[in-house]
Amino acid sequence: MAELVLTDVDKVYDNGFHAVKDLSIEVTDGEFLVLVGPSGCGKTTALRMIAGLEEITDGTISIGGKVVNEVSPRDRNIAMVFQNYALYPHMTVAENIGFGLALRRDPKAEIREKVDKAGRLLDLTSMLSRRPKQLSGGQRQRVAMGRAIVRDAELFLMDEPLSNLDAKLRVQMRAEIASLQQQLGITTVYVTHDQVEAMTMGHRVAVMRLGELQQIAPPQELYDNPDNVFVAGFIGTPPMTLFHADLTVGADGTRLRVGTQDIVLQGDVAAARPFLAAASGGEIIAGIRAEDIYVQEREGFAPLEISVLLSEALGPSVHVNFLLEGTPVDEGRLGSGLASAAENELNRLGQVSGIEGVAAFPPRMNFPVGSRMTAWIDTARLLFFDVESGRALR
Amino acid sequence: MKSTETIPGAPVIPPRPRRSFGKWVRRTGWRHLVAWLAIAFALIPVLWVVSAAFTLRPTISDTNLIPQNPTLENFTTLLNNPDQPYVKWYVNTMLLAAITAVFTVMIAAGAAYAFSRFRFKGRKVGLMFLLLVQMFPQFLALVAIYLIMTQVSDIFPALGLDSLLGLGLIYLGGAMGINAWLIKGFFDTIPMEIDESAKVDGASHGQIFWGVILPLAAPVLAVVGLLSFIFTLNEFIIAKALLQSPDKLTLAVGLQQFIGTKYAENWGPFAAGALLAAIPVVILFLFLQKYIVGGLTQGSVKG
Repeated sequence: MAELVLTDVDKVYDNGFHAVKDLSIEVTDGEFLVLVGPSGCGKTTALRMIAGLEEITDGTISIGGKVVNEVSPRDRNIAMVFQNYALYPHMTVAENIGFGLALRRDPKAEIREKVDKAGRLLDLTSMLSRRPKQLSGGQRQRVAMGRAIVRDAELFLMDEPLSNLDAKLRVQMRAEIASLQQQLGITTVYVTHDQVEAMTMGHRVAVMRLGELQQIAPPQELYDNPDNVFVAGFIGTPPMTLFHADLTVGADGTRLRVGTQDIVLQGDVAAARPFLAAASGGEIIAGIRAEDIYVQEREGFAPLEISVLLSEALGPSVHVNFLLEGTPVDEGRLGSGLASAAENELNRLGQVSGIEGVAAFPPRMNFPVGSRMTAWIDTARLLFFDVESGRALR
Repeated sequence: MKSTETIPGAPVIPPRPRRSFGKWVRRTGWRHLVAWLAIAFALIPVLWVVSAAFTLRPTISDTNLIPQNPTLENFTTLLNNPDQPYVKWYVNTMLLAAITAVFTVMIAAGAAYAFSRFRFKGRKVGLMFLLLVQMFPQFLALVAIYLIMTQVSDIFPALGLDSLLGLGLIYLGGAMGINAWLIKGFFDTIPMEIDESAKVDGASHGQIFWGVILPLAAPVLAVVGLLSFIFTLNEFIIAKALLQSPDKLTLAVGLQQFIGTKYAENWGPFAAGALLAAIPVVILFLFLQKYIVGGLTQGSVKG
């Protein structure tokens, strides 16, 4: 067990592609860190550099206080679980799990004991003499975990280990991996593009985009207080509704003009956000989570006219994709590809432009497509971002 | 029980019309014909050789497929001629073929591993060069090989002319290219993650090669080994040019003497010799058959 420190790590590929830029992360001993981001954001490259499978162009990586830039993977004392498991097909489950130990020339009895222990822990005892071909996806996944566990590694690295499993198994393995990590207390770096895995599994989540670290924080903190527009839009399912608004802070209160509508912030809400005064008279980006949009009025809520584009009854709630007159947030700036699905939907419906948003409404309600309605937003839950830099205003 | 009993009220199913023979031939019959032709094409020469081996003084034109008076005379002639030491040739050839096959597999697999897994300067050029060289049959270089071997004989006779070791080296050189390509193609289908996983598990390149990649590539290694063995067994031109002493010949060169010197008189011993030479190949085929079945990599990654 050890801490992992990345200091200004850079990766430039031979073809000039700058995959990871100045990445600095400290993972404390026993911590479970999730690296998340859209595809091509450099998260897997970062993990492979930690493993030693990819050379580091610049910066340092240290494991347990020892700089490992020049140390080969076999001497880093790490264990890695691959997306496709990468089991050795010609070996039995027991041989697969014990392979690393056999390479170290551990005594045979000791290997058997450790393999048996891992087998019990992972519920693989009855399958130790089978070959990977005879196992189901979930079992293979567990073998891959077992291979990592027996080695007493200082560091676990996992590269989207659940993405090949079906939805139900994924939920189950998600919990199993998280509790296993807690039990063993081994420092873990876990790469995923899955929102839910990021939110539920890690102590902290690091969001990456285009090779740069955007924010690193505990999941709830990331959800409640995203540092910038990208994190706001990327974290959370359904995504946060983001829109441009003209801000005026005057004697008659604080107003956000969206298209032709005004969102008025009440006295105490405005008072709690003194930073808004500085941005008064200019444009800002505002964001609101789906669950902070309501169908009924309550104290402190502001009305907003929306038209329903699509309504999806999910059981516990109804997700309503809506259109709001105004300027949407530039997708290029957001860079997450979230807006494209909405845009397609728009084109299909033959409508021009506007702000695409999602609201989570209570179940068993009917929202006819194309109808106009008044939604109420909880102004206290509005988030504000600088229109130029995209950084959160706080 | 009779199946023709009718249930009252059940619809009457008309009996299926008999298919005409002509229709059967057009649909299915011709396939049988092709199959039997193919079988005859493959088996008649074998039968002929077997028959000739057990017939005293067979001739090419009037040997029956089933010997009239089976005799072992040909085999005794074959094995008891001091001028033409068949047993010696047999041992020579089998050793040469086995050693060549093993080393061909090792060298080609080593080269293929490097070409498949490492990225180095000259990788692409090297691969193309191997392929280009392979385009020309080895005996095109026969004159050059002969000249080189005469010079090698002066310095190191054990590897020069009239040496099985030297011949084996030439075979190894000639077999490199296509086999390296063949094995590389197979290695490329083994997911890179398996190597990386082994690397993280603590394996060196050597351990990955011997412990992980080679066992997974068993089918292609078996094929390459078998083809190389058969090639060596059949090869005539180079062996004929380089080998001279009667006790250093290979089977191909030695057996040719039976029919090359006194035509038509020695087809019997020739057939007997050929028959005996075929036995190891058949055994090797049976032994390697289970490895020549692919699909061993199944189940490593999500399947």
